[in-house]
Amino acid sequence: MSADPLHALASAGKGESTRGLLRVIILALIAGASIASRLFSVIRFESIIHEFDPWFNFRATKYLVANGFYNFWDWFDDRTWHPLGRVTGGTLYPGLMVTSGAIYHALRTLTIPVDIRNICVLLAPAFSGLTAIAAYLLTNEMTPSSSAGLLAALFMGIAPGYISRSVAGSYDNEAIAIFLLVFTFYLWIKALKQGSMLWGALCALFYGYMVASWGGYAFITCLLPLHSFVLICMGRYSTRLYVAYTTWYALGTLASMQIPFVGFLPVKTSEHMPALGIFGFLQLLAFLDYVRSAIPSRQFQTFLWLFAGGTFGIGLLGLVIATSAGVIAPWSGRFYSLWDTGYAKIHIPIIASVSEHQPTAWPAFFFDLNMLIWLFPVGVYLCFQQLADEHVFIVVYALFGSYFAGVMVRLMLTLTPVVCVAAAIAVSTLLDTYLSTKSPKPEESQAAEAAEGKKGKSGLKSTSKPVVGIYSIWGRSMMVSALAVYLLLFVLHCTWVTSNAYSSPSVVLASRLPDGSQHIIDDYREAYQWLRQNTREDAKIMSWWDYGYQIGGMADRPTLVDNNTWNNTHIATVGKAMSSSEEVSYPIMRQHEVDYVLVVFGGLLGYSGDDINKFLWMVRIAEGIWPDEVSERSFFTPRGEYRVDGEATETMKNSLMYKMSYYNYNTLFPPGKAVDRVRGVHLPDVGPTLSTMEEAFTSENWIIRIYKVKDLDNLGRDHMSAAAFDRGQKKKKATKKRGPRLLRVE
Amino acid sequence: MKTSAVFSALLSLLSLASAASADSKSSSTSTTLPATFKPPQVFKNANLVHVISVEKNYVKENINVLVQNIDKAAQDEYFVPFTADQLSRLGGVEVKDRKDSNAGPFVAEAVEFDQESDIQYLRIRLPKPLAPGAQQTLGISYYLLKAYKPLPASIKQEEPQFLSFSFSAYCPSAYTTTKQKTEVKFPSSTIPDYTKIPGSGEITEFPQVQGSKLTYGPFDEKPAGATQPVSVRFEFNKPVTHVSHLERDIEVSHWGGNVAFEERYTLYHRGANLSSLFNRVKWQQSQYYQPNTFALKELKFPLRVGSADPYYTDVIGNVSTSRFRSNKREALLEIKPRYPVFGGWKFPFTIGWNSDAKNFLRQTAAGGFVLNVPFLEGPRQPEGVEYEQVQVRVILPEGAENVQYHTSVPSQSINQVSVELHRTFLDTIGRTALVIKGRNLVDDFRDRELVITYDYPLAAALRKPLIIFGSAVAVFVSAWLVGNLELKFDTRKK
Repeated sequence: MSADPLHALASAGKGESTRGLLRVIILALIAGASIASRLFSVIRFESIIHEFDPWFNFRATKYLVANGFYNFWDWFDDRTWHPLGRVTGGTLYPGLMVTSGAIYHALRTLTIPVDIRNICVLLAPAFSGLTAIAAYLLTNEMTPSSSAGLLAALFMGIAPGYISRSVAGSYDNEAIAIFLLVFTFYLWIKALKQGSMLWGALCALFYGYMVASWGGYAFITCLLPLHSFVLICMGRYSTRLYVAYTTWYALGTLASMQIPFVGFLPVKTSEHMPALGIFGFLQLLAFLDYVRSAIPSRQFQTFLWLFAGGTFGIGLLGLVIATSAGVIAPWSGRFYSLWDTGYAKIHIPIIASVSEHQPTAWPAFFFDLNMLIWLFPVGVYLCFQQLADEHVFIVVYALFGSYFAGVMVRLMLTLTPVVCVAAAIAVSTLLDTYLSTKSPKPEESQAAEAAEGKKGKSGLKSTSKPVVGIYSIWGRSMMVSALAVYLLLFVLHCTWVTSNAYSSPSVVLASRLPDGSQHIIDDYREAYQWLRQNTREDAKIMSWWDYGYQIGGMADRPTLVDNNTWNNTHIATVGKAMSSSEEVSYPIMRQHEVDYVLVVFGGLLGYSGDDINKFLWMVRIAEGIWPDEVSERSFFTPRGEYRVDGEATETMKNSLMYKMSYYNYNTLFPPGKAVDRVRGVHLPDVGPTLSTMEEAFTSENWIIRIYKVKDLDNLGRDHMSAAAFDRGQKKKKATKKRGPRLLRVE
Repeated sequence: MKTSAVFSALLSLLSLASAASADSKSSSTSTTLPATFKPPQVFKNANLVHVISVEKNYVKENINVLVQNIDKAAQDEYFVPFTADQLSRLGGVEVKDRKDSNAGPFVAEAVEFDQESDIQYLRIRLPKPLAPGAQQTLGISYYLLKAYKPLPASIKQEEPQFLSFSFSAYCPSAYTTTKQKTEVKFPSSTIPDYTKIPGSGEITEFPQVQGSKLTYGPFDEKPAGATQPVSVRFEFNKPVTHVSHLERDIEVSHWGGNVAFEERYTLYHRGANLSSLFNRVKWQQSQYYQPNTFALKELKFPLRVGSADPYYTDVIGNVSTSRFRSNKREALLEIKPRYPVFGGWKFPFTIGWNSDAKNFLRQTAAGGFVLNVPFLEGPRQPEGVEYEQVQVRVILPEGAENVQYHTSVPSQSINQVSVELHRTFLDTIGRTALVIKGRNLVDDFRDRELVITYDYPLAAALRKPLIIFGSAVAVFVSAWLVGNLELKFDTRKK
């Protein structure tokens, strides 16, 4: 009786329905774990939208919820890109906002009063739970072992490469796009395996959703044709492939064209041409297939060659003509930077200035994927061993994804799913091998071979299979426990990375007080709230584009430029105003009706992400448009140093950004002790003077400084002389200007 | 039990006098009279002392008057004149008999007779008509909001703030006043400017100054409607905090045994504006050298003992600069605005907290429930806080009925009372919500009670669990039915 519970436990997992139930429970737990591990920032800070882009998405969602779908669709936003405005409804991917809007309205109908902000904050964790389930489904298509699926779900749920873009508060397109990516792939495999139009249509549906959500949909648009192409090249053309692909392409392209931002791109741009090409190619193949069944093979050979050559020639010619005539747009700059990592640095500084567009450093792979990265090749190798159609997909995806992940940091995201799937296949194969309690008996296998040998022709010893198996329980347990340790370490690593690297809202900074309690540095919101409450409703704020979305979202004030960097010239104008002297900047600011200028200054606190450190990008971008007026070289000392202390160049000292950053800063310190804690330098005793603007607000730790642009002088003086007059320098100037005294003759 | 005694006393109070059945009618506090109305000269003010206190950022006035009926018939209506502008800022009117504290608060209401007229009247109903020749001492107290103007209107950030206030040295009255004086109390003795008027009797010049107090008078007999405009200017180096709108939600949950409070403030500083823009260096220096400033730096909310889980947010999110001290003796929530609030600046915010229902809720022997909550629980500041519009919404459980309320806040300050439905948290019919709109209140009323009685039958309490259970079952059954449908074309047996 005492052994009964153990026995019962051992036999519990045997029944099919019990296993199904267990699987559901385990999947639910995995989804729960993947949600829970993303909540660090909510627990540590609060339910807050993170970083920069999510603030725009949040603002757009609020607009959608408040004004309804059709107004959102036609939304012209005059509070950004002043004075140009932005056709926001037509230049965004609405999937994310519509998803949260739908959830919001669904909950409202159930009279559950959830703040739209909380929906937005928790959307990414919720969808990551779904992604884990989608990874389970995708992996189950690859291997009969269901443990691989569960492992893949687990890996997908907690892999830092995916967590980096889906923690609570990171309300970005990627939040739902990765789920859609994995699920679309699952549907594609399903459609391909069954040759089913239904699954193909479902695949197209989710592809359409994906297009509505993220610009990265081009990854699917290129990967599915590539997979089909590889299959065709391997001689695996089948009607299943034909049905799956054509259904997906026809419906998916139609669906994608419904998004205003995408519009006619699928038939115009080069990124979408592979999909169209394979679509045409498949038609030809189907036609050939039909012809082959109708005519003798000798004639068919000739027919085939002529036909293939002719079609290829015509197609290529058509493509070249269409591209040169401008019907098909050539590859865009962002796409070029995927092939040549140095391209952006030279030609498009605005793309290069974003840190997530940099090429990936090697340690990042280990940081984001840990042990998965070395299990990944094993999994791909195991796919090679079976190499059915779906395994080809994993191989193609692995190659494609690895390349792009190496080119751009943020594309690590698209690699992560395949890494999880492949690693799960590897781990589950290992575990299946080493956990099985049966060990092969040499006699049995010899007997089996002998039976086989009778049928076979050769009885040579070398051709007979060696008996492979694990005989000792010791080796088994060693291997299994090593794997268990690795898995535990993986969980530890993921938790550590999530907690330390990816859970900071970056709007709110945390520090520790001497007694160990947490102290929140909340300067951003302090300043934004001040702007929101105490300035005019339509006061225009000029700042570097990084802060545009935050100002729009938190301060609710019109901005000149924001993170939607659609107009390089406008950004360069702001860069020029920031990097030029007051005399040059003031007319620019007047022309753009700027009321306030906002700069980020970390010198007091040692906050390194401030505007002085970003300043060179402003200079570079401005120089790209006005090479005669702004020159990067003049911001460096003759010895080539970028300095802000007394040795800084005159151009640097006169630039508006420098002046606004350090204005009044030295008065905070005893004379001669002013120090910039980011650059670690002492500042000159005499601080910069400002004539055309005045300090309006500085946050508690000086991170945000807001300046008000002065109106034109009442007496018609220029601001330099007016400011000089106010400082009491009137007499000097007056005596200088006055000529030699003349005798009054009357 | 002591509390139950209090409750029974309150209940008897409810049943006796001022139990107001809160159906969706708005209880108007004004009465319509013909446009040519003039108060009949039936009274004489034998002696009048007018005390004006400008110690806080609102004005509190006390008129103690000995009235005498000079008519031949008994009279029960006494009128107090105000300008139309004053009447719109007037709140918290309470009238008592100074000699007889049992006579209870008298009913005071605004008279509606001519919208255009600059002089408007407040009518006080004496509970017992005053016999001819008889005298009665009335104590009339009220508050005036938005009473001051900063002078100078804009100052530097480190300068002290001065406010000016204009009033009449003769107390405005609809009747002849035989003898009167007006006292003005100030927060400090720094009173740089005040209007001087010629004296009477042995005093050559009014006012007399005693420390932080000015006295105009005593004056001899003045006719009805006599005024003598004077103005004073005094140092008030404290924030002039003005809450233009306060929404206070009190949500009672019987299932959770919880009462949740949420207050949304729209807060302005009505003091002097900054003459030059905000300078952080000066501000940081003044924090050390001269901490006394007219900027609003902190608000302290003494909550009821037992309050828990406070939150403090604004439109962007959580505000991290707050502290909550809770123990057996106090529950003090100290919050700081995100930035120091100077004159002309605005800072809207939201605070909220929870409390055990047993601190506020009792069941009566008859089976009904009695909820006793404070009408207002704003900050307690030394300089005072004024509220222009207050909306208190008490959200009772779903299905609560027969709602009655009583409050000790002066009825003159209550505009409108209604019972609404509020749908939230899986409600089907919606919760009963009692909405009381008040105006022109000040923090002196922060401990006044709001007592609500209602019935909450068991069927209403069980409604939600049953509905949720039923809908869950419905979902499962329909899922099972859908799962059993055969959708395939191919129905061959395998």
